Amino acid sequence: MKTATLAKLAVAGSRTDKFRMAFTAVSSALAAVVLLAAATVAAVPELVNPDDGSDKWNEQYSSTLIREPGLRPGVVLTLLLLAVPVLFLAGQSIRFGSPARDRRLAAMRLAGATPGQAVLIAATETAVAALLGSIVGTGAFLLLRVLLDRRNADGTLPLPTDVLPSALAVTGVLVLVPVLAALIGAFLLRRVIITPLGVVRRVRTRSPRLWPGVLILVGVFAPLLIRRLGEVLARWISGDLMLVVAFVAVLLAAVAVIVGTGWIAYTAGRLLHRFGRRPAMLLAGRQLMADPWNGSRTLAALLAALVVGAGVLGYRAFMQTELAARDEAWAARGDVIGDPGLDSFYLNSVDLVRIAVAVGVVVAAAGIMVALAESIVSRRRTYAGLVAAGVPRRVLGASIAWQTLAPLVPAVLVALTVGVSLLRGVATTATGGGGASCSGTEAECFEGSPNWVQYPEVTKAVPVPLGDLLLLGGGAVAIMLVVVGVGLVLLRSSTDLDELRVA
Amino acid sequence: MSTSHLMLGLLSVGPQHGYDLKRAHDERLPQAKPLAFGQVYATLGRLERDGLVEQAGQDRDGGPDRTTYAITAAGREKLGEWLAAVEPPAPYVNSVLFAKVVVSLLASGATAATDYLVAQRAAHTTRMRELTAVKTTRESTAGDIVAADYAIAHLDADLRWLQATLLRITDLHREVTA
Amino acid sequence: MTALLQGIGLQRSYGPTPALRGIDFEIGAGEIVAVTGPSGCGKSTLLHCLAGILRVDAGEVRYRDQDLGLWSEANRSKLRRTEFGVLFQFGQLVPELTAAENVALPLLLAGSGRREARKAATLWLGRFGVGDLADQLPGKMSGGQQQRCAVARALVTEPKVLFADEPTGALDALTGEQVLTEIVHIAREQGASVVLVTHDAQIAAYADREITLRDGVVDRSGLGLEIGS
Repeated sequence: MKTATLAKLAVAGSRTDKFRMAFTAVSSALAAVVLLAAATVAAVPELVNPDDGSDKWNEQYSSTLIREPGLRPGVVLTLLLLAVPVLFLAGQSIRFGSPARDRRLAAMRLAGATPGQAVLIAATETAVAALLGSIVGTGAFLLLRVLLDRRNADGTLPLPTDVLPSALAVTGVLVLVPVLAALIGAFLLRRVIITPLGVVRRVRTRSPRLWPGVLILVGVFAPLLIRRLGEVLARWISGDLMLVVAFVAVLLAAVAVIVGTGWIAYTAGRLLHRFGRRPAMLLAGRQLMADPWNGSRTLAALLAALVVGAGVLGYRAFMQTELAARDEAWAARGDVIGDPGLDSFYLNSVDLVRIAVAVGVVVAAAGIMVALAESIVSRRRTYAGLVAAGVPRRVLGASIAWQTLAPLVPAVLVALTVGVSLLRGVATTATGGGGASCSGTEAECFEGSPNWVQYPEVTKAVPVPLGDLLLLGGGAVAIMLVVVGVGLVLLRSSTDLDELRVA
Repeated sequence: MSTSHLMLGLLSVGPQHGYDLKRAHDERLPQAKPLAFGQVYATLGRLERDGLVEQAGQDRDGGPDRTTYAITAAGREKLGEWLAAVEPPAPYVNSVLFAKVVVSLLASGATAATDYLVAQRAAHTTRMRELTAVKTTRESTAGDIVAADYAIAHLDADLRWLQATLLRITDLHREVTA
Repeated sequence: MTALLQGIGLQRSYGPTPALRGIDFEIGAGEIVAVTGPSGCGKSTLLHCLAGILRVDAGEVRYRDQDLGLWSEANRSKLRRTEFGVLFQFGQLVPELTAAENVALPLLLAGSGRREARKAATLWLGRFGVGDLADQLPGKMSGGQQQRCAVARALVTEPKVLFADEPTGALDALTGEQVLTEIVHIAREQGASVVLVTHDAQIAAYADREITLRDGVVDRSGLGLEIGS
């Protein structure tokens, strides 16, 4: 197929198509910005101490994350990792089907295109939009660079705005983002069959197996037993190995939560269907039972973000308690309190991870929105038929809300619990202070000698950060409500009978 | 299809009086034009003369209305031949409808032709409705329905033909008057 | 006495394309009226407008002497599931619900309890000879069976007017005839009116009378001929 034809076919479109292009462009722009940020940090020159050849800090930056050459690779890696879900989102937009696009693709098949060529056309659409997006993103990045170029009171820069990413990096981003988005898109279409008679989504009807459900229960309760189990196992296994065992057990639980989303969706559907009184719940329950895997991958991403987020909150609480305990201990012996700068650095880096988690949640929610949109559009004929038969749109909207939120709420609760249990299973108390000092010769230094000074330890209980957890969980649910809202708007336009020309 | 073959077919069931034959005909071929007694006896006479049918019994008084007729072996053979033969698919169209439509479109004035066509279509659709009503009546037998189906299908075919011819005639007329 | 359902001077366009260009229509209680015409003549659009699914650009649709155009979307929706029944050629059943759940849906929306709704649904499915498919999903049924379930759903609320758009279009001749005969029987029993859209003369013959459309207007000749009104 000639490139020109391909390009022309790819950009023909209607309103949903324009929305899809915009969505892809925006996500690609975001991905480009993040990638360029990573490239910039990587471009900070590595200084070498002229005296001993060791690494020297780039003193012109105020943030230790950028100053220390040892920490920079970590930052770059984090930014790269952050770009991945955003890129994934750009690729996901290929799933925004629309009747117009389905007809176009089917007509091309009818005219002789192979299924591969049809997918190529759809993927090229994504690539073109992604290219536009990455160009805009690059422009935005350069603009941000200028706007954020401000010096602190002591003349240091908070961000590496004095460094430009290499030309190679910029070109790389402009090429990589569209290509990756297109590849991801093509991969995501593997469940969609484009026939000459229409576009069909192959649904995984195999009903979810029971084992993830069991694993989830294990995951929720295992951390509570870790202590007990640890004491039992300690007789046979060394401490380190036991930690590994504990870690593996909880990892399995976390994996189960993610893999088990299909089971969660299916069970939620069954409960809705069995106990639901209203037609909206009946519709939602049946839809969940018929297609439990719809959007479950993105739900899994959301749950993963929540597990990590809850874990981070637990860790933060732990760290705070540890610092507080240490401060108390040192205050008790009349010593100077530790370096507040370092303290806040550690807390801040944890906070950065929190921000990353929040971004992850938003991105995952956007992914769920894409899956929901696809589901609504592919069922528009059924919905239109129902509206024509007199089912109020309100009932259909309620069924969509139930369908999205019923599996979500319990899943969020479980994810948060697993995440927090992760930490609490390891440590429910934090100890600070302790240690000893000795002034004297080695022979005189042993516990109980007059030269031996034992410093007091302070142990505090680590509180469960309920408030923060509630915020995290509530935030996730709130974002999902927004997603449902978008879905309802889409429902409205999908069932606009004027546009539909129902057969 | 002649009445002779029909009679032979009805007699193949068993010997019957002329009166029984008429009743059997009207029962088994509903919606068709009922058979007149004169036609029954005339046909029976012909068949007897040709040896396809014979008198099987006489009631006290004698006379045609009391005679039982039965089919002969020759009659059965003739019947078998007729049943096995294929009906030639109308090599010559001799429908009045066809003639009227063509003539009215070519010769008579536009208004008269239009009026005729509209009236003909209305008559066809009314008859179709009547026949369809037979199909939806609960008391109709399977025979009733099969007969009605036959007539409906032909009426429908007439209508389709009418529509298609209309389109062709417009072209033809344009050609001729160009 | 005014007819049960009337359309007066109906006009409706899809964007720049006019579909109805001034149609008058009426149907009385218990009448079966066929709407025929070649494809693209506007018969489906007429049906959608009369059923209140689409709004008309000009003209009035009057049901029981009330202008439906003045009704809110919610009220027209309610009308469609209580006094009107709608039957299309395909795509009517919700694929995730069983046959009984599909048929019970209008009753559930009207506030029936689940058990009564299910009982009524099974009864109606039985009337159309698909009672044993009550717990079956539509995907596992043949076209004829699906359409029978759809008819059951359209009639379960005992509507006053049934709107049927090519109801037998996707069925073979014999199944189609069976379905249509059942519809006619039940309509006569309930005294319901039926608006039957079809392009097939033999299907139209099931009606009491017929109105033919051509290019968005009524064609009195039925043959596409120009005749005075």
